[in-house]
Amino acid sequence: MSVRVQIALGIVFLLAAIPKIADPPAFAHLIYNYRLLPGGAINAMALVMPWVELLAGAALILGVWKREAAIVVGLLLLVFLVAIGANLARGHAVDCGCFDVESAGKSREELLSEMRWVLIRDVGLLLLVAQVLAATRAASRARWTRGV
Amino acid sequence: MARGSNLARVVALIALAAAAAALSNLAASTQRKLAWVGSYPRALDVGAPAATVEPTPAGPAAAPASGAAAPPTAESQPANPVAATTGGAPTASAPFEPDLAAAFPPHPDKAAVEISPDSVELLHRRKALFLDARRSSVYAQGHIPGARSFPVWESDIDARVKALFEEGLDQSAPVVIYCSGGNCEDSHMLAQKLYMVGFDNVLIYRDGFPDWQKRRHPVATGENP
Repeated sequence: MSVRVQIALGIVFLLAAIPKIADPPAFAHLIYNYRLLPGGAINAMALVMPWVELLAGAALILGVWKREAAIVVGLLLLVFLVAIGANLARGHAVDCGCFDVESAGKSREELLSEMRWVLIRDVGLLLLVAQVLAATRAASRARWTRGV
Repeated sequence: MARGSNLARVVALIALAAAAAALSNLAASTQRKLAWVGSYPRALDVGAPAATVEPTPAGPAAAPASGAAAPPTAESQPANPVAATTGGAPTASAPFEPDLAAAFPPHPDKAAVEISPDSVELLHRRKALFLDARRSSVYAQGHIPGARSFPVWESDIDARVKALFEEGLDQSAPVVIYCSGGNCEDSHMLAQKLYMVGFDNVLIYRDGFPDWQKRRHPVATGENP
């Protein structure tokens, strides 16, 4: 069961990473919209974070460095949760409607509501990460006691 | 120790990602590339960008009647001269086109002034310089005829602005910038860049390209203005 969770988590992150790697300026624009990161750091995050997601996702799928990949994914999710949470708290709708015409038409309330759903989704993913960590902790504890 | 090797692997994963990112960025096209350190003056600022709304232009029947259309959104501008409509609908008689310099004087004290769709139409008829701040791919799909592509998020934007400066244009002549309308601030970002190289009369078409299309104006496609 936990292997399936691990692979599913890996797939989610791998797929999420691809469009961001394909278009770094668009992702930088998205990060900018959060208004949480100092200007000088935005591009570096836009360039590197998607690759972290991709590699962590791939590692989970392949079952390589599972525990570390799960830790990285968990950290990423915490970052996303803080970023969305902070903006919900200050009522700042993150989407500017610059990317697609649909979001341009949405009201601030609709955008904020979407952010709440993303928050819930990310909490769900974090629970999956916790499960993978629990499973891999048992394995690494066993390795430790065996002196490997 | 388990924890030590955990940390080492996490660091290795991130380092590998950074290396991959560097390689990928090196191989990227201009439209996909990003400078490692960007300049975003309003990166931590949640409020709307400071751009006053166009005051009613000078002249008798000159006021482009923004009465028919929705008034410029006042909610984002704290204390601004809201473009009060002067008496509603335009007169049915011969259209009076005010002298551009009088109607749109330069404003060296601020980066940009937002203008109404009617003003945009007037400026377009009078062949003012129009700049499209959206991505090049979006520009190619449809843009205001004659507008030049200045994608503010693409890596060569500073080079383009510099080249524009070097064209030696009259920097007090009106320049209209637009993007996707709504809350999109790309036009404000580009306006700021132009202001920094001395353009004193940057005007922002707040409602942007979607509004241009809504008004059924002609649209150009492709990579050229």
